[in-house]
Amino acid sequence: MANRGGPGGRPNGTAQQQQGGGGGGRICQFKLVLLGESAVGKSSLVLRFVKGQFHEYQESTIGAAFLTQTLCLEDTTVKFEIWDTAGQERYHSLAPMYYRGAQAAIVVYDVTNQDTFGRAKTWVKELQRHASPNIVIALAGNKADLSNKRNVELDEAKAYAEENGLLFMETSAKTAVNVNEIFQEIGESIVGLFVLVVGIQICRSEQSRLNYVSKIVYSLWYRK
Amino acid sequence: MSEYLRILAKRAKKWAHLMKSGRPLVKGRRLKRYIRKGIPNEYRPAVWLQVSGANDKKSELEADLYIKLLAGKHDTTMMETIRTDLPRTFPDNIFFSAAGEYQERLYRVLIAYGHHNKTVGYCQGLNYIVGLLLLVTKSEETSFWLLKMLVEKILPDYYSPTMDGLVTDIEVITELVSTRYPDVSAHLNTLGLPWPVVITKWLICLFCEVLPTETVLRVWDCLFNEGSKILFRVTLTVIGSHRDELMACDQFGDLAECLKIIVKDAVSVNCHTFIEVKYINETEHLF
Repeated sequence: MANRGGPGGRPNGTAQQQQGGGGGGRICQFKLVLLGESAVGKSSLVLRFVKGQFHEYQESTIGAAFLTQTLCLEDTTVKFEIWDTAGQERYHSLAPMYYRGAQAAIVVYDVTNQDTFGRAKTWVKELQRHASPNIVIALAGNKADLSNKRNVELDEAKAYAEENGLLFMETSAKTAVNVNEIFQEIGESIVGLFVLVVGIQICRSEQSRLNYVSKIVYSLWYRK
Repeated sequence: MSEYLRILAKRAKKWAHLMKSGRPLVKGRRLKRYIRKGIPNEYRPAVWLQVSGANDKKSELEADLYIKLLAGKHDTTMMETIRTDLPRTFPDNIFFSAAGEYQERLYRVLIAYGHHNKTVGYCQGLNYIVGLLLLVTKSEETSFWLLKMLVEKILPDYYSPTMDGLVTDIEVITELVSTRYPDVSAHLNTLGLPWPVVITKWLICLFCEVLPTETVLRVWDCLFNEGSKILFRVTLTVIGSHRDELMACDQFGDLAECLKIIVKDAVSVNCHTFIEVKYINETEHLF
């Protein structure tokens, strides 16, 4: 589904084993797209995550902007290829070009604005229908520093995220709360998925596959 | 730099002579050559108005259209959408900073146009275009008419709700680039950053916020006179003159960085060479 060929298409989940280089662990490279209504803080979240900065007046993004950032998770280095997109409804027809082949998405809304939460739900639905089937979706309620002006309740968003199997956090690009955390959680989810899929593929017999999966499920269960 | 000043002085003299007569400019090879070599700043508003057809349009419609549109009733949603983008337009420019007066001017031109052309309304990207028009023309009304010509005549359907014109042009340019520079296109696809996603902003913003300002103005000189094909040529020029740099990138991150650098490097800054001598003319035979 995600790979309709053409210029945007690339194999999903580019993960390479690399030798040497200190840790000698695995390096995974993932495409992550940010979606959400205009002015909810998509670019600000990226700027905070990539450069540790915040601008009160962040220039409006036209089309899309591209950045990278690396996270180290235990024995895995995760390299994010970040696609930060323009939020205005007008740009909707260009969106498939951006989320095509993405392994992760952060759908952002502004906790002070109920309309942006509605728009976030629409994005989630679209991703569930048209993006890669294994895409990891995170919902970010941004501008959490303005929670005294909140219009979207934490419980409401949490319940929605749970129902739809999304990662969820309220974030603040301004104060840096939960910004690294949300990217880290996404990284862990993707790496977990990747390990699971590769593990299943290398099992030779049906029985060892079954053992492997039950081991993973068991460990995940007790980690939570 | 001193070389460019010498060119500017020479062009200023030639243009002064041309404009002295006060007669309307006659479209043709001579005017095209003059415009390709750059319109001096002081004549830009007048020349843009004339060659884009804005003057004719203005006399066809009501001359005080802009004033009437400002006096009319305005849609609250559109007002809010535009207001959100005001401090996010050229935030580092002294004219557009909170204390500057240009934010309000920008608001008035955008709200007037949004109500004049309700199909287009307000499309993000127009904020940068109008911002630069205001800086050059220093007149809201002139900016309004030039915006009208850009949106309706020069780039039809670029900014409409489905952006069909833009999408078509993105496809055409992608095709042109892959015909002319197949190695570069293939390389970008492999690295996961294909041309359509790269050039979207170039086209929507008409290279504003992409190329250095002086180069953008030289591009706009040609755009108002010759139309949208100039955007195709400039795109090919940027890509063609940075082939080696692009091919040298071996990762997504390098490429993303490289794409930011090439539009600001010496080749792109040296607007006179960029537009006139070397590149645009090299793509002449393609159109």
